[in-house]
Order: sequence, then C-alpha cells, then structure tokens
Amino acid sequence: MKLPESRTAEGTIPTASMADIAFLLIIFFMLTITFEVDKTQVVLPKTSIRVEIPKKAAYVSLDESGRIKVSSGEELSASVAGSEDVFSFAVGVIATDPNKEFVLKADENVPYRDVDQIVDALKRAKVRVIYLLSNERTVDDMAGG
Amino acid sequence: MKIDREPVDDEIPTSSMADIAFLLIIYFMVTTTFAATRGLDFALPEEDDSPPVIEKEDSVLIEIQPSGELLVDQTPMSLSEVLNYLKPKLEVNPKKPVIIRPDPASPYKYMVIVLDELRQAQDKGFEEEIRISIPTQREIESFWY
Repeated sequence: MKLPESRTAEGTIPTASMADIAFLLIIFFMLTITFEVDKTQVVLPKTSIRVEIPKKAAYVSLDESGRIKVSSGEELSASVAGSEDVFSFAVGVIATDPNKEFVLKADENVPYRDVDQIVDALKRAKVRVIYLLSNERTVDDMAGG
Repeated sequence: MKIDREPVDDEIPTSSMADIAFLLIIYFMVTTTFAATRGLDFALPEEDDSPPVIEKEDSVLIEIQPSGELLVDQTPMSLSEVLNYLKPKLEVNPKKPVIIRPDPASPYKYMVIVLDELRQAQDKGFEEEIRISIPTQREIESFWY
C-alpha cells in the first residue's frame, strides 16, 4: 500500500521581531542611563530622609583619606588640593548658574573637620542648597543604633 | 539563445541584527553603574557681612562628641530622646533654632544621623519643621558669643 506523502514540518523559529525587541531595550537603557560623574569609592552615611538629587548637580567628593574631587556635573570629577580650591571651583560654578545645587559625597568616617571646611567654602561661594549623598537607612540599622 | 540567470535574492539579511542589538544591550548593562542619586537636602543660609548673632540662651545646642555621644544643652542624651526633649521647648517657641555642633574629630556620619533625626520632626508630631543651623568653625570663631 502506498502511504500518502507526509508534509515536512517547518523547522525555523521566527526571529524577525527579535531585533525590534532588542532595539526597544537599547532605547530604554539609553534614556534611563545617568552617567556617574564621580566614581570615588566611599561608604555613604545612612539616612531615613532621602530626596531625589537634581540631575546635573555639581559634585564635591571626599574620601576616607581626605582626598577631594570636584565636578560641575557635566564632566568627570577631578582632584583638587584643598578647600580653597573647592571655594574657587564653587565660585566659578555659581557665577554661571546661581541656583546650582551641590552634592556632597563624603565617606561616613571622615572627620567632621574636613567636611566643615568644604561646607564653609560652599557657604562662602553663596551656594544655596547642598545635598548630603546617603544610602537608605533600614530598620536593622535603626535597631543597631 | 537562452541564458540561465540565477534568481536574485531581494531580501535584506536581518538575521544578524538581533545579535548586534543584544551585544549593544550587554555593553550597556555591563558599563552601567547604579549611582546613588538620593540624599539629605540642606539649605545653606545666605551669607552676608553681618549674620544675626544667635545667643546661646535663645537656642538649643546639640554637641556631638568624637565618640558619637550627644550633649544637648550640656546634658548627655541618646538620639531617641532628643526630639522628646525639644518638643516642649519648640511648642513654646516654634522658631527656636536648634544648633548642631559636631566635634571636629567626630566622624561625619554622626552629624548626618542627628540632622536626619531632626528633619523627621514633622513626621513625629511636631507642628513645624525645626530650624536647624550647623555653623562652620569659621562662623563660630567669627560671630559666636
């Protein structure tokens, strides 16, 4: 007996839409990405109140060894020698935008004297608002004191 | 004479498009570093030549010792007791400034913890936001007392 000829099954997976999905993901990443202008490694203090920091805010970072870096928010941060350089930098930034927000990214264990000098330089430069960069304080942190 | 022509493929080859797109996604995912973009905001007072002189008696003074212990109006106190101490005083005079004065040798995190606690006053039953002042060492030497 002659059997009817069996139909061959189609062996390809439709991949035409794969590129569309991938490009949508790329567009999502490109729109949501915020470039980190300061890559200083610090252990941030923890707070319960954490407000969103405006994009393009100027950065002053201070690591545990007392190294200071500054960035106007447009370019990568650069090292400066001391608080007087922070003052000159802040004066320059405030001259172009008097309402520019500044972010202080300081290590939690740095002596307050170093932070005080930077805050003083920013005050003298007539900076209006500073943001103390922090991590979220959890219930466990509060229980631990 | 009949010429045999090979049929021309009229499709654009898109099979590698997805590969390229996924490579781009992987690149974005690997190079993205999630930046901490939240923190505690702190408005700096506008500096002029003659800032108002705050008398010790008109304010509450919170001193932070290098070990993190607090002296509130010269009385040792734990962080959780500070708001309870301030409440009756601020009910009488809601404009009473609270001055945070960290020891220059104290780690920065203690100042942030105290500031964070005071900023939560309204969530903990205070009618108004506490007027917090953190004078810098230069201001203390120049204008205080």
